[in-house]
Amino acid sequence: MKYVLPLTHPLLALENISITLSGLKILDDVSIGVPEGAVTGLIGPNGAGKTTVFNIMSGFLTPDEGTVRFNGKKLKHIQTHHLTKLGISRTLQGVGLFASLTALENVMLGGSSRIKSGIFADSLGAPWADSAQNKLRGEALEVMTEFGIADAADRYPGELPYPVQKRVAIARSLISNPKVLLLDEPAGGISAADMAELGRMIRSWTPERTVLLVEHHMELVMEVCDLIWVLDAGKVIAVGSPDEVRKNPAVLAAYLGTEVDA
Amino acid sequence: MTNFIDFLLGGFSNGAVIALMALALVMVWRSTRMVNFAQVGQAMFTTYIALTVQQSTGNWLLALAVAMGAGLILGIVVFFLVIRPVKNSDTTGAIIATFGVLIALQAGAGMVWGGDPEGFIPPVSNAGLEFAGRIWPVSLYDILVWVVTAALVIGLTLLFTKTSLGLSMRASAFNPEVARLSGVRVNRMLITGWAIAGATGAVGGVLIAPVSTISPNSFDILLVFAFTAAVIGGLDSLVGAVTFGIGTGLVISLVSGYTDASNAPVVALVLLALNLLLKPDGVFSHHGSRSV
Repeated sequence: MKYVLPLTHPLLALENISITLSGLKILDDVSIGVPEGAVTGLIGPNGAGKTTVFNIMSGFLTPDEGTVRFNGKKLKHIQTHHLTKLGISRTLQGVGLFASLTALENVMLGGSSRIKSGIFADSLGAPWADSAQNKLRGEALEVMTEFGIADAADRYPGELPYPVQKRVAIARSLISNPKVLLLDEPAGGISAADMAELGRMIRSWTPERTVLLVEHHMELVMEVCDLIWVLDAGKVIAVGSPDEVRKNPAVLAAYLGTEVDA
Repeated sequence: MTNFIDFLLGGFSNGAVIALMALALVMVWRSTRMVNFAQVGQAMFTTYIALTVQQSTGNWLLALAVAMGAGLILGIVVFFLVIRPVKNSDTTGAIIATFGVLIALQAGAGMVWGGDPEGFIPPVSNAGLEFAGRIWPVSLYDILVWVVTAALVIGLTLLFTKTSLGLSMRASAFNPEVARLSGVRVNRMLITGWAIAGATGAVGGVLIAPVSTISPNSFDILLVFAFTAAVIGGLDSLVGAVTFGIGTGLVISLVSGYTDASNAPVVALVLLALNLLLKPDGVFSHHGSRSV
């Protein structure tokens, strides 16, 4: 799909965001739009501010200036625990799993915000608390089966191979049935074969879901993205289709020696 | 040999109460990564409330229930009034603040109920049971203590392992940011941890009161034992707190039986020191495998 810029109705948008952290201007008047139902890439050299963009979208950081909009609505004060309810789910660099919870419990946790039984019902072991918990367990197992990791359900993350841990993490972010997935370097540390599989998986989520992808592996970014934003030193230096970005001289200069064409 | 068995049997009740206090310390540690030295003060205060209820109604179960409710509320009050304002800026400061809360609770209890030790009448007989031709160091009341402790430990285990509240609480304890991303209201979970700890400590206080006495300072020594048990157990392990809580009770009973009761705290501190020298992470700790 080809996008005409500026985007008319982005599902998720940063507007004129600036943030200074410990005296350094990390983002300087950054505006980024994420079109609905597409895979959007966010790339740039180390220190460009990509993770900061994610941290602002997830409510870990509050920008000094600018607005974040979701579905046209201004998100004034983003509360992290509220994101899954809005329909936004983020994966973390690495795997971000709980070492002390089983793979199944990790996945279940991703859906726990949807079930409401209440503290007292839970403490008293009320039947409806049990049934909600069982329903969630069933859903989690279903998602894990879909990802081919059902046999890892009762194991702890530390006992599982890295690619399986990655799948557990993605299963956890999908169980809340998000509209938007923020993927932070999902291809880090996985093999070429797994990466191809990951690319197919990401494509298969669209157009039902919207994806914003931060990734260093250019082959993956170029292959799966419909639209790519390029950040360098806290500013947007380019935006466009993979082909346009690949040929953009400013992008080539920013990467300086890093191979952009795959 | 008879002595040994008697001392051992006599240690279980104390051990059960130490286990409950250690559980309370562990739950606070798991939720906010700090030791609440006011825990025994909170338990002392709620035990006085239970005493008042029992004296006016004569109903022990009601007294226990009121103490649990009061412990729940007191846990939340301490968290909001003292810990939250301080903790945001400084964890060490918050730990010191818990000492302040302890002193304030002891002074407050002294003003309301006076400083003299008061007796707490047990709901069932506290005399050693006669069986097979001799009197054993186990009373009906001891058995009640075991039953209540076991019920509470089983209940907490089910809560933590079988409910979504427990799952959210465990996740919040280990990685608040990831838990938030998964939609968990982490702050609410921390407060719940303090509340459940308060109620657990309250049960421990009510259970120990009939076999000691109650005064504003009577539970101080319990803090030494419970802290030892919790630290040896790894501070974040419920199983560790229970195991070493009971273990500490047995050791104390043996030491008191063979030597003198006044040696017990010293032995507890020696155990604590040895643990910190040899296995500072605790025996049941998850530290080794924890990752982000």
